Amino acid sequence: MSAPEHLLELRDVAKHFGGLYALSGLTFHVDPGEIVSVIGPNGAGKSTMFNVVTGLYGPDDGSIRFRGANVVGLAPNQVTKLGIARTFQTVHLFPNMTILENAMVGQHCRTRSGVFGSIFRLPGTRREEQRIRERARESLGFFGSRLAGYREEQPASALSYANRRRLEMARALATEPALVMLDEPTAGMNPSETLELRDHIVRMRDELGLTVLVIEHDMRVVKGVSDRVVALDYGRKIAEGSYDEVANDPQVIEAYLGTKAAG
Amino acid sequence: MGGVPTRSIVRAGLLGGAGAIYVALVGLYTKFADLELVGEQVTLGRVLIVAPAFVAAYAVTRPRVVAGERHLVALRGGLAVGALSGLIGAGLFAAALWFADWFGVDRIREVFVAITEPLVDFLTFDKGVPAGLPILIVLCAAGGVVGGFVRTAPAAIRRPASAGVLAVILLGLLQRIIPIVFVQLGFEADWLYERGAGLTWFGGLIVFVVAAAANALWNQDGGRTRERVRRNVGKAPAAKVGLFVAILAIMTILPLLLGTAISEVLGSVMIYVLLGLGLNIVVGYAGLLDLGYVAFFAFGAYTTGLLTGAFLNTTTGAATPALSADLNFYVAVWIVALLAAGVGLLIGAPVLRLRGDYLAIVTLGLGEIVSVLTASKWAQPLIGGPQGMRGVTKAEVFGLNFQDNPQHFYYLALAFVLLAAFVSWRLSTSRIGRAWNAMREDEQVADAMGVSTTKFKLLAFALGGAIGSMGGALFAVSIGSLTPASFEITVSITALAVVIIGGLGSIPGVLVGALVLIGLPGLLREFEEYRPLIYGGALVAIMILRPQGLVPNVRRSRELEDEEVSQDAWSRDAKGEAEAVAAVLPGGGLGVEREDLE
Amino acid sequence: MATAPDQQVRGAELGLLERLPWRRIVLVVLSIVILAVVAIGAYKTLTLPADKRYSTTTWKDFIVLGLAQGAIIGLIALGYTLVYGILRMINFAHGEVFMFGAFGAFFFSDAWEESGFLDSNPVLSIGLLLVIAMLVSMSVAVLLERIAYRPLRNAPRLVPLITAIGASLFLQNTARGFFGAQSRGFGVPEALDGTWTILGIEVDRIQVVVLVTVIVAVTALSLFVSKTTTGKSMRAVAADSEIASLMGIRVDRVIVTTFAIGGLLAGIAAVLFSITFESVSFTMGFRPGIAAFTAAVLGGIGSISGAALGGVLLGLLQSVGPALILTGYGIPSSFQLKDAFTFLVLVLVLIFRPGGLLGSSEAEKV
Repeated sequence: MSAPEHLLELRDVAKHFGGLYALSGLTFHVDPGEIVSVIGPNGAGKSTMFNVVTGLYGPDDGSIRFRGANVVGLAPNQVTKLGIARTFQTVHLFPNMTILENAMVGQHCRTRSGVFGSIFRLPGTRREEQRIRERARESLGFFGSRLAGYREEQPASALSYANRRRLEMARALATEPALVMLDEPTAGMNPSETLELRDHIVRMRDELGLTVLVIEHDMRVVKGVSDRVVALDYGRKIAEGSYDEVANDPQVIEAYLGTKAAG
Repeated sequence: MGGVPTRSIVRAGLLGGAGAIYVALVGLYTKFADLELVGEQVTLGRVLIVAPAFVAAYAVTRPRVVAGERHLVALRGGLAVGALSGLIGAGLFAAALWFADWFGVDRIREVFVAITEPLVDFLTFDKGVPAGLPILIVLCAAGGVVGGFVRTAPAAIRRPASAGVLAVILLGLLQRIIPIVFVQLGFEADWLYERGAGLTWFGGLIVFVVAAAANALWNQDGGRTRERVRRNVGKAPAAKVGLFVAILAIMTILPLLLGTAISEVLGSVMIYVLLGLGLNIVVGYAGLLDLGYVAFFAFGAYTTGLLTGAFLNTTTGAATPALSADLNFYVAVWIVALLAAGVGLLIGAPVLRLRGDYLAIVTLGLGEIVSVLTASKWAQPLIGGPQGMRGVTKAEVFGLNFQDNPQHFYYLALAFVLLAAFVSWRLSTSRIGRAWNAMREDEQVADAMGVSTTKFKLLAFALGGAIGSMGGALFAVSIGSLTPASFEITVSITALAVVIIGGLGSIPGVLVGALVLIGLPGLLREFEEYRPLIYGGALVAIMILRPQGLVPNVRRSRELEDEEVSQDAWSRDAKGEAEAVAAVLPGGGLGVEREDLE
Repeated sequence: MATAPDQQVRGAELGLLERLPWRRIVLVVLSIVILAVVAIGAYKTLTLPADKRYSTTTWKDFIVLGLAQGAIIGLIALGYTLVYGILRMINFAHGEVFMFGAFGAFFFSDAWEESGFLDSNPVLSIGLLLVIAMLVSMSVAVLLERIAYRPLRNAPRLVPLITAIGASLFLQNTARGFFGAQSRGFGVPEALDGTWTILGIEVDRIQVVVLVTVIVAVTALSLFVSKTTTGKSMRAVAADSEIASLMGIRVDRVIVTTFAIGGLLAGIAAVLFSITFESVSFTMGFRPGIAAFTAAVLGGIGSISGAALGGVLLGLLQSVGPALILTGYGIPSSFQLKDAFTFLVLVLVLIFRPGGLLGSSEAEKV
């Protein structure tokens, strides 16, 4: 384990759009090596929280720290460079780039070849390109043979739905992050794909040493991977703890099912 | 009739007629009536008479989707439909002509300046109204028939026929170049071209047959040969290199073959290729619509003047500019490029994060500001105001004079073009090109993946600016004196048209675009007046029919042809209800559009 | 910068250079420079020695002129803002819609001037000219939508923009081919020569007509948009076209109507412009088009009141601005610089406040 500070820490984070408070008073943390799930009904602010952490827009209040350093106000590419990678709720690949190229984009923030090197194909640049390819292939290879081999040169738009989700994750992995944030990674997958993905998430922690923060609706996945679960509703944290604790929390049940079931 | 609804036929016919009337009103007939393409009878004007009917028939006999099934129009039907629509259009056209004659050509001329007696004569084949009208009607109907034929004939006939016709028209238009090439190479051209005019009948026939045969060979076996060659060329780098060398060789010999007058045109073409390459980086690679490219062009030209000791034109003679240096061109041009890149960075910093349309307008505004400044009295002490500057260096080296000798200039420009092309190519296939691609496909996601969009936009803009300024520098050398008239918005629009019509993001496309848009009008003086009209029409047509341009960049054609498929469409396959609902709520999905939350 | 895949700690530090808020720094410096230039220029102009200074009458003239021209610009701006609200695109060719209206009116005005009808029935002739211009502009606008824009409804954003530019070029040069490249003089009824004295201020009669006409037109438009069904449909489509169509609104129809209304207003502006400047030419749409777009953005694009406000403001800026700021520096304020000034305003508004005065202050992200 590294320094005793939290890897990611949100404190009193608030975000509103017009009159709507998407997040308010949100406080929680993620420690290195953990897999934390974020659950909550639709509109609870989970994706908003992701967007605020990764810098798509800034919070209206509160602080967000990564490894102790403030990340509010940074551009998304700077946040990624610091070591946070994410996937999106609806898949956002680069549809007309090949699978390999999609993954190679992930390596961008870890490389530095400039104009000069690119024009003259200096040896350093060529080595770096080679390494980018290798790293990208490694990330693709994390998901087995599905995204590898001859598939590499196909445009991303040609992939099946589940493979697109996997490619998006591979691309995130290619950024060599410390924390990876997955936004509903199993949405739209069938049961066997879902279970497989559950295992992938655990492997990310065990094999790659990543810390994972995942938004999920599928409780089988949540139960199977989480060290801790955080439940949100209306932009606030309403429960936190192990899966069993949160699953049985009356506030959580009420949020999902309405007051009828709570009593 | 023939599977095509009558209403569509009538509409197509009327549109064809309206098109012909438009061509008449805008003056194209009067201009091109005498441009002979083949023999004395087939003039461009006459081709334009049948063209609207042809196009209308071609469009209306297209395959239709009826109840989910694609129906081709049979040949018989195609001919009939073509004839009918041609007749309807012709009828409209003839009626308009008759009306003009009855009402009085001179009175119409007070509004529509192109309607003259000579025009009426031309359109009635010198027989006047109403005697000449039947000929007109028959001709247009024939145009419709041919249009229908071309569309509905089996591919084996249609493709070679179209290729043949296009080749004849193209070679007819190139009548000012090809005979000269022949003569220079020691061949006679009389069998092919009439002296000082278009193709001979014999020549036309030969061209048609050769082109049609070549096309038939290329497309034989239902396109298998074509695919095979394409794949092999694609795989073998040697073949690509060979192709490149061949083109380069042709480009090098061209001015020697064509003589000084045409070399001047080629020089202009090269300057626009250079501008196109620079703009291609900004618009094609980085996806930033820049409508003010003339700013860099002007900057390059005037700065080159200042750095190489040019004088201001004043009413009393010559004056030294407020800032002046006397450097060698080959030193100055790099300074100019560097300065331009710096200016690009300065301007780009506040401006490049704006959205597409806004960025376009801002750059337009900046271009206009520069245009105005070049002519303003305020900047006169520096760059000469309305009277401009003269005495820009001739950039002499090894006895080659680039200002007085158009052929030499062409080679200088070619050198810069090769440099810019090389840089563009290397960048597009590098990490930087990858970043640009990602940015273009999805800016927010690219940013989220670690690509600093600001940095790469600035890079593209600065690089584009540097190349644009080099174009300006070359221009200054080529003409020696600079006046504000050369630095107006036309330059920006032409450069943009070259890039877009040639093919966004495609280096060979820029070359083709420049050849077509600058070369052809340059050779045929009649086109000069109608250049902007043709550019405008071509831009609209290309965007609607073939947005990837004439010589597409493979990746971009995929991007541009697709309807804007929202990424959510992919998830339509998925049954995830959560997803569908969450995508609609605020805060769900990727980033929230400001507009959604107003 | 290779990191082995099994290391626990990854990611990089951001250097100080990267953490600086560069954009904000540039913007702040820029704004300080601009404010300084403006303030110093204005001060110098107002404190010029008495013989070089502008008189109060001259300032009054500048202001009235600015209002009148701003009103015209505002009318054209409405066309831009309406189309933008519905399609989120800038109709680059709107200036040419305006120009064709002017030509349409011109030919009749020319004939009536010769026959004396113009002078004997000023009110009627101006009224008719307005109707003719409105019809012509409306037709061009509708044709434009049908031919150039409709096929590209779903295309990536760059495409309709380029098409609009092409259409603008095409229309401009069509007019050149039709009517010739010379600019023609536009006749003004005698009754409108000279000035009226209103509330003690002497103003050109034409300027009064312009202002009154624009006020009537804008009021009519506002009422139309807020009270009529079509107007409400327009607002619905502007807010969310998908939902609007689900509600049973015929989106295509609404779009055509929007273009038509924009054309109508441009036609009115065309006649007013022509009698103010007494000429028409095939290029007359370009500069007013840009000015109008600037006005629309200045006021907040997509907003009707924004366009009107922006128009007036821009008109004032155009006429008062160069005189106020540049004269102090000894720069002769010519027509050309007035144009440059407009463009500068446009650029600055888009840099600092793309949402316009009545909009938000954040740049819209792609």
